[in-house]
Amino acid sequence: MTGTIEIPHSIRDALRAVFGRPIGSPLDDSAFDRLALAIFAWQFEHNTPYAAYCSRRGRTPAAVTHWTQIPAVPTAAFREAALIAGDPAAAAAVFRTSGTTGGPERRGTHYIGDTSLYHESLLPNFAAMLLPDGAAPVMISLVPRPAEVPDSSLSHMVETVIARFGAPASTWVASVVSGIDDARLNRALHEACERDEAVCLLGTSFAFIHWLDVLRATGRRYALPPGSRIMDTGGFKGRSREVDADAMREEYAFRLGIDTVHGVNEYGMTEMCSQFYDSTLRDHAAGLKRSRHKVIPPWVRTRLVDADTLEPVTQGERGLLQHFDLANAGSVCAIQTEDVGEAIEGGFRVIGRAAGAQPRGCSMAMDDLLEALAGNRP
Amino acid sequence: MSDERGPAEATAAFDAFHLPGLDTEAVKEWAVSAHAGALLRHPVLDAAALSSVIRHIRRARAEHLDGLPVKAITRALAQAAGRVVDPADAIGRIARALLPSITGYSKPMVELVLDRLAADWNEKALRGLVEAEFPGATFEPFAGDRPGPRTVRAVGPHFAFHIFSGNVPGVGVTSIMRSLLVRAATLGKTSGREPLLAALFARALASVDAPLADCLAVTHWAGGDARLENEAMSEADVIVVYGAAPTVRSVRSRAPVTARIVEHGPRISIGMVGANALINEAASAAAATAAAWAVSVFDQQGCVSPHVVWVEGDATAARRFAEQVAEAMAAVQVVLPRGRVGVEEAAAIREARTTAEFRAIGGEDAAVFEGEGTTWTVIYDAAADFEASCLNRTIRVKPIAELEEVPALIEPFRGYIQSAALEGVGSRLAGLADRLADAGVTRITGFRQMPWPPPAWHHDGSGPLRELVRWVDLES
Repeated sequence: MTGTIEIPHSIRDALRAVFGRPIGSPLDDSAFDRLALAIFAWQFEHNTPYAAYCSRRGRTPAAVTHWTQIPAVPTAAFREAALIAGDPAAAAAVFRTSGTTGGPERRGTHYIGDTSLYHESLLPNFAAMLLPDGAAPVMISLVPRPAEVPDSSLSHMVETVIARFGAPASTWVASVVSGIDDARLNRALHEACERDEAVCLLGTSFAFIHWLDVLRATGRRYALPPGSRIMDTGGFKGRSREVDADAMREEYAFRLGIDTVHGVNEYGMTEMCSQFYDSTLRDHAAGLKRSRHKVIPPWVRTRLVDADTLEPVTQGERGLLQHFDLANAGSVCAIQTEDVGEAIEGGFRVIGRAAGAQPRGCSMAMDDLLEALAGNRP
Repeated sequence: MSDERGPAEATAAFDAFHLPGLDTEAVKEWAVSAHAGALLRHPVLDAAALSSVIRHIRRARAEHLDGLPVKAITRALAQAAGRVVDPADAIGRIARALLPSITGYSKPMVELVLDRLAADWNEKALRGLVEAEFPGATFEPFAGDRPGPRTVRAVGPHFAFHIFSGNVPGVGVTSIMRSLLVRAATLGKTSGREPLLAALFARALASVDAPLADCLAVTHWAGGDARLENEAMSEADVIVVYGAAPTVRSVRSRAPVTARIVEHGPRISIGMVGANALINEAASAAAATAAAWAVSVFDQQGCVSPHVVWVEGDATAARRFAEQVAEAMAAVQVVLPRGRVGVEEAAAIREARTTAEFRAIGGEDAAVFEGEGTTWTVIYDAAADFEASCLNRTIRVKPIAELEEVPALIEPFRGYIQSAALEGVGSRLAGLADRLADAGVTRITGFRQMPWPPPAWHHDGSGPLRELVRWVDLES
């Protein structure tokens, strides 16, 4: 195989139609099923490692009669195989997971054959969830620019969003080398306040924690213009410090003047083109009062499955999140995550991450092993 | 497991503690923990209450245990343990009824473990342990009635504080027995994952030898409770700690300088199959079956459980051996089912399988054999380097040209690798054992015995009783 293999026009057109649907009006199951099966048949034909994975399970397009039978690929597979239809070397974009353990060769890689289709799915979702009032705020990114981290799907997404929706004063205030440029960020916020322009801060929860530490240490607070909002991402994945999402939002309110409704957490992953956002801002704009949940865009189906059997859990139980994302047409739609979630009205809630937990008992945890290796390597 | 606190009368929970000197009528607050249906109850202690318990068992030691002949101790311990493991005994029945819910192990696993413990916990084995550790009556007083001039004797601690982990039932009881054998007043803090067996043992001991049981306290509190643990540690001559690295590190940082710390930190084990075990299909099937049992017992959560099995020869031999291990794992699952696993554990198994499967799809020499759900997994992988298992019956089988190359592969994990099971190595055993010893391994065995170390084994490299005592020289 050489070059990228174009997604057929019939699929492409059908996807565009779904991406154009208002968030909150999902496709009915038969329409979703038709499109999902068509994409699966095409992926099976052109995505060699995925086809092998499916064939080993006897789940070929001939055997699969409903989208729920299409094999979901665990996210770990993206570390081992180039899951793309066609030649990975010809991909338009290559995104890699941050992968803190196991070295660079152990990072999950998502090859994107067609970035325009990706943009067409991410923009309406972002607009509906972060800009439901039609605002065009000053966007301030605490994520480094794509030029610096070309393999970050988050940077790519933020750049796409700023280019499309950001006010002219939108800016980038962080770099990989020097972290957050606090002076620049401070200036951008003051200027926005002077002009009374709402801002939209974008970054990882981890970046915001560190910035809030700085604000706390220096005793600084902002009263950002009304309509200001914040999108943080991640946060439930335990890093050097556990993040309590509610406590973070209280801090945003106290330090920035952004009330909790305007604090929107994004749940996304490198292996998936689509994102899930908190419902709060959109519900607020629509005058709805519902508890915070992640909203599933019309082109995605999310199921909760039992970690042991991978069968759907009984209603109300927690389980691993399994997504079927039609926007992943170029790679693999069915993604098995290691994120634990539970269904709540309107969507789901992410509870935590199953992977990386220490095995019980006195047997050795992976962390100890890595520590041992690090300490003994010449 | 969940904890809730409430008044005693509101629950029908089982009392999983033994606290001599504590007036339970005066206990104001109780902690009740639910373990998949089984409810266990512990008093919520403050430092003063714990201190008075410690004073009580220390006094009992001075009055009763100090001069007690070894024979009397071993007899009482064996009788008490006999009650715990006896399926017909009232206490043994409780153990067998509640342990599956508490530990998550299957019922057959709990029964197997208790049956095997019965063999270790008899009077003869305990006497043998003392003899092996203290030959020539070196554990007797200088002024004792044993003839002949003596220049050295061992003296047990006055008070030993034990912190147990929950992965393997019975380890806590063994630890308590060792402690009482060296005549130490003993406090055992049980793990939230298995708070029962040690308490049952204490209860059984109280029924056979009340004064001896007065020297023993067993209870549970949330690990890391600084007030209680600092109180216990400040009093202790010896602190015995089982657990993961953070637990061991935490104890090390808080223990008084005068206390001896006996650490049983994280350890894992390996298997090695030599060419002699592969001479024909029947021989290799026998070795594979033994390996499958070694992996399956304790659902691989023991320090004695193997994580990797290296097979001597080419890739074909290792792949065939992996298939045979897989067949045996399926058979073991029928008679000794894997227990419950959590979401994290299941996810880790799935991840290991996925990684290996996509390595195979990508053209690497790897294969995955698996049981229903996540019950068991055999991963054949031609890459020889050591990889720790995610546990719960997930074993890697790897080819190696010569077993003599294994010590270099495990050398980076020195201090972590405990047991090595060797099969089919013939006369190379001694040489291989020396190399493994040099690489940090402390026990060389076979797959069949692997899960069941003898009572007198040098657990993690030290004498099980000797590591608890002080040696006193009498110079003439």
